[in-house]
Amino acid sequence: MIRKTLLCLAAVGLLLSCGREDDHDMEKPVIDMSGVSAFPLTCDIVYKGESFTFKAVFTDNGELGNYNIEIHNNFDHHSHSTDDVECEPDEKKTPVNPFVYNESFPIPQGVVSYEAEQSIYIPEDVDTGDYHFMIRLTDKAGWQQLKAVGIKVREQ
Amino acid sequence: MQIKLVYSIVLLFLWGNLRAQSVQTPTTPTTLQPSQFPQPPDTIGVNIPDEEKTPIELEEVIVRGDRKRNIQMKSAQNIVRVDKSYIEENFSGSLMQSLEKIPGVRAMTIGSGQSKPAIRGLGFNRMIVTENGIKHEGQQWGEDHGLEIDQFSVDEVEIVKGPGSLLYGSDAIGGAIQLRNNYIPTERTEGNINLYGRSNNESMGVSGQVAGRIDRWYYKVNATYMDYADYKVPTDSIQYYSYYIRLKDRRLRNTAGRDRNAGVTLGFLGKNFRSNLLISNINTRSGFFADAHGLEVRLSDINYDRSFRDIDLPYHSVNHFKLVNNSVWRIGSVTWEGNIAFQKNLREELSEPVSHGYMPVPPNPMERKFDKNTYTATTLLRMPVKDRLSLQGGFSMEHQHNKRGGWGFVIPDFRTTSVGMFVYGRYHISDDLILSTGVRADKVKIHIDSYRDWYETPDEHGNLVHKERAADLRKKFGSFTWSTGLNYQRGEWMLKANIGKSFRAPTPKELGSDGVNYHIFRYERGDYNLQAEEAYQMDMGISWQNSMMTIQWEPFLNYFPNYIYLNPTPEYYEGLQMYHYAQARVIRYGFETDIQLQLTRQFTLGMQSEYLYAEQLSGDKKGYSLPFSPPWSANFSIGYHPGRGFLGTDGDILLEYKVTGSQERIVPPEEKTEGYQLLNLSLGRSWQIRNNAMKLRLQIQNLLNKRYYDHTGFYRLIGIPEPGRNISVMFGFTF
Repeated sequence: MIRKTLLCLAAVGLLLSCGREDDHDMEKPVIDMSGVSAFPLTCDIVYKGESFTFKAVFTDNGELGNYNIEIHNNFDHHSHSTDDVECEPDEKKTPVNPFVYNESFPIPQGVVSYEAEQSIYIPEDVDTGDYHFMIRLTDKAGWQQLKAVGIKVREQ
Repeated sequence: MQIKLVYSIVLLFLWGNLRAQSVQTPTTPTTLQPSQFPQPPDTIGVNIPDEEKTPIELEEVIVRGDRKRNIQMKSAQNIVRVDKSYIEENFSGSLMQSLEKIPGVRAMTIGSGQSKPAIRGLGFNRMIVTENGIKHEGQQWGEDHGLEIDQFSVDEVEIVKGPGSLLYGSDAIGGAIQLRNNYIPTERTEGNINLYGRSNNESMGVSGQVAGRIDRWYYKVNATYMDYADYKVPTDSIQYYSYYIRLKDRRLRNTAGRDRNAGVTLGFLGKNFRSNLLISNINTRSGFFADAHGLEVRLSDINYDRSFRDIDLPYHSVNHFKLVNNSVWRIGSVTWEGNIAFQKNLREELSEPVSHGYMPVPPNPMERKFDKNTYTATTLLRMPVKDRLSLQGGFSMEHQHNKRGGWGFVIPDFRTTSVGMFVYGRYHISDDLILSTGVRADKVKIHIDSYRDWYETPDEHGNLVHKERAADLRKKFGSFTWSTGLNYQRGEWMLKANIGKSFRAPTPKELGSDGVNYHIFRYERGDYNLQAEEAYQMDMGISWQNSMMTIQWEPFLNYFPNYIYLNPTPEYYEGLQMYHYAQARVIRYGFETDIQLQLTRQFTLGMQSEYLYAEQLSGDKKGYSLPFSPPWSANFSIGYHPGRGFLGTDGDILLEYKVTGSQERIVPPEEKTEGYQLLNLSLGRSWQIRNNAMKLRLQIQNLLNKRYYDHTGFYRLIGIPEPGRNISVMFGFTF
């Protein structure tokens, strides 16, 4: 009797455990900055009163969503890049007129690979020093990938 | 379809077994008490023998197996009841962690000293905790909210798995954890003192209770103090977004904390009237992991490594004050019960002020403050109508007022008022077959106040404005819920089946939020048009027991036509990923098993397991699971009770092997979690010295110092492992 009951329990357990094959997106999108033209990378320098061009390749297994670029100061060394290599920070300082940039950009619908290229202008009157360049990327399913790069804004 | 089929097969199969078995089994003596109702929200049963039960008397009176069975026959739902000694034997950092071995029950941990409960994968506002019949009200919608309960003060825990809306109204979808402080002292002066120590977070705790009974009056006074340091993990660094956070001495920076709790109960025991007044205050403070508060990695000037015991920013503190009165009045065969309560939950979250986006550096560290006042009143009438039929009816009212403060906005100020009424009947077709059914109507009124940012943000025309993050809103939700079930026992078999509907009103956060959740750095937008969430659930409980073995299997099937979930979208708003509250059809099913085998007088074997499957059937995340779905797990144990030698007459050694599966079925933004295996060891014994008793228990958790991740833990998303090897000692002295 006991054996029978145990067998029965095991059989039911197995039946219930047989899940269906998952066909929905389980992967985060990818921010690829390994290409030769990718910019900016850790410790790259950008200049006041000039534009620079952000370049990266975005890929996803399903469909890409949108991306966002945010630049904020790291004068207080509050955090770090997502790279293993940290670049030597400048002296700590209090922001006076720090550069703030926060823009979102659409990616054409239905693509799994996209070469992002965006020109960003740094005004003449902002503080120089350590900044964080944050890249945020979503895919259609709602997964998000982040990348933070430590850059420096310098006087020309 | 597939699920339906499986269930039909299971039902047939088991029914077949049941019939075959019932022919030849002799009937075991049972002590059925026909006037008992399922999970009464009070602390006192209906019939006299039950009333006189105190944990002390119990041990002498009733044969174990039958008592268990009586509890099971009280309700058509799956219930588990454990007492104070169970909590002491499994004592862990927080109440839910101490109860986590119960199949289907989970502790969603927030560090080493706090946790929030979940029943079969449903937590937050989808299950409730009651203390002495009163719903415990904190900020349970929040992921970092731990349950504010002094586990030393709990005398009895009863867990109802499955829809509990019939008795408790809104929120009790997944079930209810009912805590009772119902021990009534028998001596003029008595008491106990417990000392607790834990190696992993260098926790030290002391708890004491003094109680006494003079004629018809009794009192209880209890106090607890617990202090713990940063907990240790079996790793030198934590990798989060490819960044390495190095840990000093394998300690998780700033996860120390402390609890200070006290309570007083005064009671009167009359012939037909009894009443008690409980005043309690729970005060806890604990730090959050310093290097990644929320989802953002942060470095700070605070020297966290200065001390392992101090609590620096970020931390939270909670003070929960409770005033509860329970009264029971008996007139002939009619019992009237009344409970009134006031609760004040004050929660503060503090962190280093930093600017973000257009928000300048805030003036102080008070990031969030919630001041919630809850007034509850419930009344219940029970009466036998005929020989075999008994009825109970109840009315309950609750008013809540939640006021926010601080520079971080998550939920607006709100007031809610809810009223509910129910009727419940139980009919004994025969001594072995009981039918029960009930209906309930609820009305919930929510009033949300508008909230505007304290700083200015440019609008679409470039004008600087204080943006409105929540608009004034008044909403009413009504619900009609029901439940029906049966209990059947025949010989060694027992069968329970229950089907019920439950509901919950959307939370103010789900309705009214529209702003940055700084905790997780995402933009959350509520939806005013959300409907009350409803759920239908079918439960079964099948058990077989003889003198040697108990087997229990509890499957369930649960369907939500409109489950409320926070949907991550591909959109960005103010630089953050936008999350929308939405509703979807959801199906969930699973089971728990519990097998106990008494091999010899000295050896016992045990096996508990649980499995859960959840799938969203519609909406944006169709095909995905639900967030915080626990993976399958099984716990194998072997117990040795030598009955003599160094362990004394009642000492025991218990070795446990816990296997937890991986969780591959996730939903954005979750991370897949690998499975793990743990070994735990526990030994305990007691001494009787004249009228005093001493108890000692030693537990070694995570014996092999395994590094593993808890899928439902608060720190899972930032990749922080669970505590490593831990040795804990509990010493109790009863006088």
